[in-house]
Amino acid sequence: VQPPEKPLQAEEWNKLREDFQSPEIFEEVMLNSMIRCNSPIDVAKSLLTHLAKRNGDIAYNVLVKYLTLCVQQGQVSEICDVYDIMKVRFKILESGAYNLLIKGLSNSDQWRMALTLLEEVKKIMIPSRACYESCIKAASRHQEMKLAFELYDEMLAKDVVPTLDVLQSFFNFSRGMKDAELQKELFGILLYLRENQIYPHKTFMRSIKLWFESIPGGNWRGHLTNIKDSGQCPVCNHQLEDSNLTEEEYSNLSERIIRDVIHGTDTFRKTSPQEFEAFQTFVEDRLPFDIVIDGLNVSHIKPRKMQCENLFDAVNCLAKENARLLVLGRKHMLMNSSNWKREIMKEMQNKADFFFAENISEDDAFLLYATLRSGKHCKFVTRDFLRDHKACLPDSLTRHLFRKWQRGHQISKKNVFPLFFSQQPAFRYDCVVQTTGDTWHIPYKDVFEEKYSYQVPRKWLCIQQK
Amino acid sequence: MQSANMLLRRIVGSSVLPFAAQHGMKKDLFPLSRTLSLSLCLKQDKSCEPSEKLDLDEWKKVMKSGLQEEVSETVSEPKELSSLAAARETLEMWRLAGRAVPENISEEQLKTFMECPSKSAKKKYLKYLHLKELHKKNDKRKMDEKRERRLQAQDQASKTDETKKSSFICMWSSVMDKAYNWRAAQSMIFGQPLVFDMSYEKEMSVREVTNTVRQIVLSESCNRKSVDPFHIHFCNFKDDSLYHREFIKQYREAWGKLLITVTDQCYTEIFPKEKLIYLTADSPKVMKTFDHNKIYIIGSMVDKTIKTGVSLAQAKRLGLETAALPLEKYLLWSTGAKNLTLDQMMHILLTLKDTADWKKALEFVPKRKYCGFVNKPIKELKKTLDLINTLKLGKGREEVQKQFAKSYPKK
Repeated sequence: VQPPEKPLQAEEWNKLREDFQSPEIFEEVMLNSMIRCNSPIDVAKSLLTHLAKRNGDIAYNVLVKYLTLCVQQGQVSEICDVYDIMKVRFKILESGAYNLLIKGLSNSDQWRMALTLLEEVKKIMIPSRACYESCIKAASRHQEMKLAFELYDEMLAKDVVPTLDVLQSFFNFSRGMKDAELQKELFGILLYLRENQIYPHKTFMRSIKLWFESIPGGNWRGHLTNIKDSGQCPVCNHQLEDSNLTEEEYSNLSERIIRDVIHGTDTFRKTSPQEFEAFQTFVEDRLPFDIVIDGLNVSHIKPRKMQCENLFDAVNCLAKENARLLVLGRKHMLMNSSNWKREIMKEMQNKADFFFAENISEDDAFLLYATLRSGKHCKFVTRDFLRDHKACLPDSLTRHLFRKWQRGHQISKKNVFPLFFSQQPAFRYDCVVQTTGDTWHIPYKDVFEEKYSYQVPRKWLCIQQK
Repeated sequence: MQSANMLLRRIVGSSVLPFAAQHGMKKDLFPLSRTLSLSLCLKQDKSCEPSEKLDLDEWKKVMKSGLQEEVSETVSEPKELSSLAAARETLEMWRLAGRAVPENISEEQLKTFMECPSKSAKKKYLKYLHLKELHKKNDKRKMDEKRERRLQAQDQASKTDETKKSSFICMWSSVMDKAYNWRAAQSMIFGQPLVFDMSYEKEMSVREVTNTVRQIVLSESCNRKSVDPFHIHFCNFKDDSLYHREFIKQYREAWGKLLITVTDQCYTEIFPKEKLIYLTADSPKVMKTFDHNKIYIIGSMVDKTIKTGVSLAQAKRLGLETAALPLEKYLLWSTGAKNLTLDQMMHILLTLKDTADWKKALEFVPKRKYCGFVNKPIKELKKTLDLINTLKLGKGREEVQKQFAKSYPKK
């Protein structure tokens, strides 16, 4: 439906309505298209007037649609009017209306009213993050940073996850302020990014940089850079934190993997207790390994080649450096078949240790276990992203640990064969926001859109204090 | 300013007053009209003459005037709402906002709603209730229509007033019931056992258990009506478990009279281990033929969140043989999980038992899950699968479709 350009008289609306195929939803459809076309508010008003005259009442959802239009065009006095009407008409409102009201009011000079509305929402439900976002932005826009941070803390306390937008607005509006308390809060946000492994996007990064450089008397300077593979920052020569887990994190992670990934709710789902025990003794007898290989995964690298040849190449390639290898496979690999030649298998077994699991067992779980048991130097080879195993871990903290460990220890690269093992390993440095007090290193995403969860950004912002 | 006043007078004179008078609230009319909207009126006035009579804020007056009365009515109500009442209120607002929310909600449902752990869980639960309500309403409407039609038919029949003669008294359903029960009783003595493993309660949510029980009820009824029924065993069945309570809800008094064996023992205790075969979609072994001397076990489980390998783990633990239906071999699978509902399994097993015809049996697999039956050797099938893949990728779509239609005529 095309909304009219001018306000219409009741008769004209009536005619339009009668021409419409399903008159009972005419108003809704019409208002929707008004919202889409951003029609002048008077047109909507004339429709409401027509409705009010005909029915003596206007339904809640129609009011909300009208409110959407008002918010879209920033018609503050209209928003207030609608709020007044709604408040008397209905005991409470639902979240959609509250979101709209708060958003509309926070962008105006009536922004304090948005705060009172937020209080009202809190009485009934946990406010949505959009509500908090509008209020925080409004407060910081008016330089009420303390209030903004109070709201922010409250939001975190209620497990409402803030958007990057909110975080960015803190940096934007604190520019040039000299306030030790405020500085501490903003550092707190950077640490929040660190703890949750969030990477800011380019514009957000710019806001951070500008804020640092604007601190009066702070003498901060920011540079964009790429970190060397060694983990050294080319600008300030500072060595980044390395990717190894601490002893505690390490033991915590291996414990969790055994408990949640291998055993889970039922050991029989991935393996069987006997098999796992056999594997454990096998590994303990031969510890430590340098590289653990997922035999089946590697054998599929080149689909044209025979599977055991693929594996053979991989083992040869890795065995050169005198490393202790463990290859995990399944029992069917031992059966002489077109893909698995017995002689080649024999030859490989001289160069590496092999463990063959039952055909219906999951070998990935064994891969993780063997690598973790061998110690921090041990790496593993597979192209699998191990997402399903990560998903077995119950809390986000352990999942982050897993990702970090995986980044540091997984060797994988698609296609190109000998190049496959030219050690694309594994980051030696940890890819998170980090500080030493007088320097900050902040990884950022080049593009605005989301990257894959297993990727880490390669670009960094280096900030140092002169 | 003067012109604005003029305008105001004109508007007041023309449209608002009669309206306000109608609602009996002349006195507080002026404070309500806002200057902003007036200025908008002004602009409007200049641009198009015919709409000068239109008062755009009139709806506000209507809304507020209706209120005055209502407010005075509700003033005596206590301000504080209990959490239940507040939840009810919220639901009402959601309904007004046009969300999928049921019109009527019982106290019990409201409590379940409040116990939902997250916003999305709440939404889902409400949507479920909403749909249920819609179905119920629809069913009722259909029933009413049917009754109407029947009454009309009766009217006509009474007019013609003709008595039909027949050698049977019309008692079909009870006679049939007796015949079915006779067969089921026979099967309890001579029939091939079929086991439902009821040990998955802890793996399921309440709704999944409800669904499971429903599916079992359906399976039981189709078993009873078959020519040669299985002797159904419910094994690992704990008294007063969720399963038990759901069964009683479904069957009511009939629960005690069912011609099946219910036991808290495990099937391994009742039957020799080598005769048992656990049916699970995760099994590496594929069933070739239906064996009349074996005892098949079906896991009574509905998993909406896909829990791979739960029943396979159970079979592994007990060291039982497993088997999966040869779906891949006979059907060109398209979408959906390979696990079937319990009543579909029952239909398939019954058909196999009677006819040993896989094609006939696998007719009970939902049609949406496969494209057609495999009627060619596997090599050619592979080609077709490649075709489907290119089809999905959208390369040369029409051409591929034609080829596909040629090699696999739709059922």
